[in-house]
Amino acid sequence: MIKLAIYGKGGIGKSTCTANLAAAFASLGKRVIQIGCDPKADSTINLLGGTPVTPVMDYMREHDDEPTSIEEISKVGYGGILCIETGGPTPGLGCAGRGIITTFALLEELELFEKFKPDVVLYDVLGDVVCGGFAAPIREGYADKVLIVTSGEKMALYAANNINKAVKNFEDRSYAKVRGIIMNRRAVENEEEKVRAFAESAGLDVAADIPRSADIIKYEDMGKTVIEGDPECETAKRFFGLAKLLIAEDEANG
Amino acid sequence: MKNVSRIIPCYAADTSGVCSALYEFGGMTVVHDASGCNSTYSTHDEPRWYDQRSMIYISALTELDAVMGNDEKLIGDIVSAAKDRSPAFIALCGSPMPMMTGFDYRAVAEDIQHRTGIPTFGIETNGTRSYVDGASKALLALVKEFVHDMPKDSFEGTTVNIIGATPLDFGMTGAVESMRRYFSEHKIKVISSIGMGSTLDEISKAASAKVDLVVSYTGLETARYMEKEFGIPYICGVPVGETVQAETCCAALHEAAHGGKPMSVMYRGKCGEEKAERLVIGEAVTAGSIAFSWHILTHSAVDVICPPDIDAPLSPDKKDLPLLSEDEITAYLSDNGIKTVIADPLYRYILPEDCKLIELPHFAFSGRCFARDMRDIINNVNKEFFE
Repeated sequence: MIKLAIYGKGGIGKSTCTANLAAAFASLGKRVIQIGCDPKADSTINLLGGTPVTPVMDYMREHDDEPTSIEEISKVGYGGILCIETGGPTPGLGCAGRGIITTFALLEELELFEKFKPDVVLYDVLGDVVCGGFAAPIREGYADKVLIVTSGEKMALYAANNINKAVKNFEDRSYAKVRGIIMNRRAVENEEEKVRAFAESAGLDVAADIPRSADIIKYEDMGKTVIEGDPECETAKRFFGLAKLLIAEDEANG
Repeated sequence: MKNVSRIIPCYAADTSGVCSALYEFGGMTVVHDASGCNSTYSTHDEPRWYDQRSMIYISALTELDAVMGNDEKLIGDIVSAAKDRSPAFIALCGSPMPMMTGFDYRAVAEDIQHRTGIPTFGIETNGTRSYVDGASKALLALVKEFVHDMPKDSFEGTTVNIIGATPLDFGMTGAVESMRRYFSEHKIKVISSIGMGSTLDEISKAASAKVDLVVSYTGLETARYMEKEFGIPYICGVPVGETVQAETCCAALHEAAHGGKPMSVMYRGKCGEEKAERLVIGEAVTAGSIAFSWHILTHSAVDVICPPDIDAPLSPDKKDLPLLSEDEITAYLSDNGIKTVIADPLYRYILPEDCKLIELPHFAFSGRCFARDMRDIINNVNKEFFE
């Protein structure tokens, strides 16, 4: 099973990249689960035609109880992808990190993986590894590889470096390892050089190079990924390329 | 405000369950919790505390440790204590604060084991679930670590492990010794008692038994594991006093040990078909076993309520009532015309006025309050008790 966590600076395009990657895996015939781990709960919206799924935290807030089935907190989207959002507390209150842990414990209790039997699980995680809750997706049993999304912007690279260091802090534990970088271009001057220089200094591989494209915005306005909207476009091809690379690596590892 | 108790107490917490289940095996149990004081556990939930030594520690988690995620301090303290004390194993469990900060028990346990070379397991407790959950996880972790497949014991008759006896359910009544004696009279040899009354060495030979007897819900997950790993069948039930149920229990053990279908020795009467006026409240297996005896003696329906949280009713027809809250239990008692209840004395305060209570103290519920009145239900429950 391929289990990936996607991290990166806020607003850098993590959800866009995750949803497109999920759609690419699904188009290649894989059974996919995407779990949005952000109180904004908008990770999977473009897999669902723009109609969001009820986040787990919203369900629990409304019912004052835990759901008893996966169906109550998930929706099936493009390509049969099972979409789940952790959601979070009311902004300014509670503990969003704890919300992620609670959701993961609940999904385990509901035997999500045993029942759905996914080939690929993608965790789309809020901005940075700010506390124990946001490290939950990289713990043993969840993701085993991390992809960091960054552009050539200074603050995006700064966040990418922090994330890489945070994951390295857990080297003694059986946590996920950083697989590489998704370069999500933002039309920054000398962008490729900057990102590749960072990748080299951090000992990381640039696993995918996503061009800046109006197609992404066009199809997101329609509640779609580019994989769904125009699978032949260059951006879609890059996501297919990344999905195929990860599948090949997984198969090579048996 | 669900599950709030206004009148009756709550059951012992999951952390107490872990400490109790692992108390006698020479391990070091560390509760990751604030204050450094373990009196809740030692004063209220552990009758062996003043008579029998055990390595139970509290981590003395501070606010700053919690905020900073200072796992290294905890790991360093445990490694240092382990070097001084050389425990047979280390168990790490926790309280509400580590739950809130997302403490990773499994990863930290792995780290400690790596540094000390001592088997270490992280047990995910949070102080909010019942002792059943904690003790269940602790026994399973112990068995996974120390029980390995081996040839069957040379004893020709039936050999059994008793799984799930802890003082929280059985007090210090000598129940395990009574079971050993009773089984011995019925040509059943006890290989180990996984919970209390055996050494770690005896437990390590548990796979040589032909059958497991689950005497509390605490032992169920372990029995399921042993069935899957070693092919050992299990039955659930406690042999209750001088009753047909106890004889049925022995017959069921013999039958299961020799390839027969595991029989139930808990109540499987007319629950749901006939209105019950009799009710047992308590731990699932003990309550179900007592209900069985009571049913045979009276030929009447008996209901069972299991307030400690359990994953699923033990009864295959799901007729046990897993009512967790005081409100639910109170409503059930008043709506169903229950006339006689067997339960801990503290339940008296929520019984309807015309309802008779037969007292059966439960240590996990009332602690030391009625410890002296606890019964060895194996030896000391007979027809007169039910009358």
